[in-house]
Amino acid sequence: MTGHLVSVLNGLAMGSLLFAIALGLSLVFGMMDVLNLAHGAVYLAGAYVAVALVADGASLAAFVLAVLLAAVLGAVLGGVLAGMTRTTPHHLDQALLTLGVSLVVAETLSVFFGNDVHSIAAPAPVAGSVVVFGETYPVYRLLLIGFGVVLAVAVYVLVERSVLGSVIRATVADRGMVSALGINTGRVLVGVFAAGAALAAVGGVLAGPVLGAQPGLDEKVLLLALVVVVIGGLGSVRGALLGAVLIGQVQALGASLLPEYASFLIFAAMGLVLLLRPAGLLPARGAVRA
Amino acid sequence: MGVLSTVLHTLRPGAAVVLLALSGCAGSSLTQSGGEQTAGPVKIGLLVPLSGVYAPLGEDMRNGFQFYLDQHSGKLGGRTVEVVAADEGEGPQTGVPAAQKLVTQDQATAVVGVVNSATALGMRDFFHESKKLLLIANAGADAITGASKSDYVWRTSFSNGKVAAALGPAVAKEADGPVYLIAADYAAGKEMVAGFRKTFEAAGGKVAGEKYTPFGKTQDFQPFLSAIRGSGAKAVYSFYAGAEAVSFVKQYRQFGLADNTPLYGTGFLTEGGVLDAQGEAAVGVKTSLHYSTELDSPRNKEFVAAYRKAYDEAPTVYAVQAYDAAAVLDKALANAPGGTGDELVKALGAVGPVDSPRGQWSFDANHDPQQAYYLREVRSSGGAVVNAVASQLSAAQ
Repeated sequence: MTGHLVSVLNGLAMGSLLFAIALGLSLVFGMMDVLNLAHGAVYLAGAYVAVALVADGASLAAFVLAVLLAAVLGAVLGGVLAGMTRTTPHHLDQALLTLGVSLVVAETLSVFFGNDVHSIAAPAPVAGSVVVFGETYPVYRLLLIGFGVVLAVAVYVLVERSVLGSVIRATVADRGMVSALGINTGRVLVGVFAAGAALAAVGGVLAGPVLGAQPGLDEKVLLLALVVVVIGGLGSVRGALLGAVLIGQVQALGASLLPEYASFLIFAAMGLVLLLRPAGLLPARGAVRA
Repeated sequence: MGVLSTVLHTLRPGAAVVLLALSGCAGSSLTQSGGEQTAGPVKIGLLVPLSGVYAPLGEDMRNGFQFYLDQHSGKLGGRTVEVVAADEGEGPQTGVPAAQKLVTQDQATAVVGVVNSATALGMRDFFHESKKLLLIANAGADAITGASKSDYVWRTSFSNGKVAAALGPAVAKEADGPVYLIAADYAAGKEMVAGFRKTFEAAGGKVAGEKYTPFGKTQDFQPFLSAIRGSGAKAVYSFYAGAEAVSFVKQYRQFGLADNTPLYGTGFLTEGGVLDAQGEAAVGVKTSLHYSTELDSPRNKEFVAAYRKAYDEAPTVYAVQAYDAAAVLDKALANAPGGTGDELVKALGAVGPVDSPRGQWSFDANHDPQQAYYLREVRSSGGAVVNAVASQLSAAQ
């Protein structure tokens, strides 16, 4: 039984990471109506920043530096992607464009870092393990849960309680009306795109000690993030949070209770949500225009 | 996915081929056995993954094959070799057409390589019917030299069941209680566990549980590790490769199992780049394999030193398997002046013992290598982790 409790804990840790990664995807999808298929590649770029700076057994300072550098790199990539996708309003063109960017980024990373699997060590002070529910559990994963909580609160305050947040939400709801009020919606959109990509890249660093870095990881992460977005609802912070926590639990508890079906469970969950609530569990208020 | 890196990777061997061809024209007549046959150059197809998840293995195999050629002035059986490389990719849908292209379009005398077992099995009929030699230098499915064996398919690597079977009796003796079996849920994982279980139980071992994890989709092993803990197992036998091997071994330590439950596995769990990524987390893991860089023989020491000098990294079992494929081709081509599949196959049957870095081995009746297996233990030495050789395992049947 305690094994399942540890699985719940583990699901929360994975959920925290998924939240950080999926949030940007959801907001960009909801606000700009751009399906950014390069989101996974941005994540992978962040993971390789950690490989370059942290490798194994680095200090806390190096890890923090990796997080900051990944955030900058992610923001730059996000800004470039925002600029590129603005040139075309068509969904298929955008999907092809961002898919192409993701292939180029992944290939460039593979040329520089090789095709080997890289692992990333947790920063030295938190690399150990503690006993939780009678089982040994890595401290770093507990910290991830804390990070998820802090991030969720910070994003909630920013989006739901600040002026900037109300502009962002208004841009999701009705872009034309916001620009009629004299606000440069283009700048808001690029800002959100860059911030979302920065979060994905930071997620790449933070997930490093759990998932490592290797070619192909970008696609796995992108797929998970898309499932989270579909389950939670487009353009919604609370939806991304709920979706991430849910998928984290389905993955961890599912593998614990029904190991034979573990790989199908998240898609079963997604199918169920799509049947019952086609717009997702907590879609953004106000319609997303096509 | 791997188009760009494929191009970059193929540039170097391409240049090597040109150089080899030139040096062949210069007419150096270093005699191999049977060097009096001054037949023209021979084309060998090298089919290894240059893109996708198996690319690191493909790189090692290409290096191993090329290394043998470089040591022997670019000749096999006294004939200048032109290597035609093709990308095996990740599965049969890319690998099989690539093999067919090597034979029909490039007119390769023989095809060497193949990492993926499904790919190897998928191209078996083609080679059987076109009577061309397929020399497998990795793919381990038991069926390749078992149920669907062919006169034209030979293997210089291993078969899954045998590598795992060699470990069974040793674990039965060392473990002080029941053993948990866990592997990735695909053909190789099942063959590894079945091979291990057979000899392990025959030697009196008890199984605490058996579980297969979704192949290629498991990044987090915590639920499975909790199940192992709950089963009361005193040791664990596992088979993983690539990224899953890294995650499994690292998490096995992070979740505290490594301290009191010894981890065993087939050697691919801790081989090559995978071991580098696992680092200190892998220390203490014991595996069975037919090669280790730490083998204490003059032949191996000389090989490892020369390989390191050439490629600036330690050789892996994958490199050795391809190196040996070149070695047996060297012997066989010397006795196959016409270069037809039938001649080559007959010559391969008569190559006898091969003096390899892994120790001496020879083909058995099923075209599989009859070879020694070693019990290896991961140890930390001078900042690097290596597979130290603990003992030689008694040959399993």
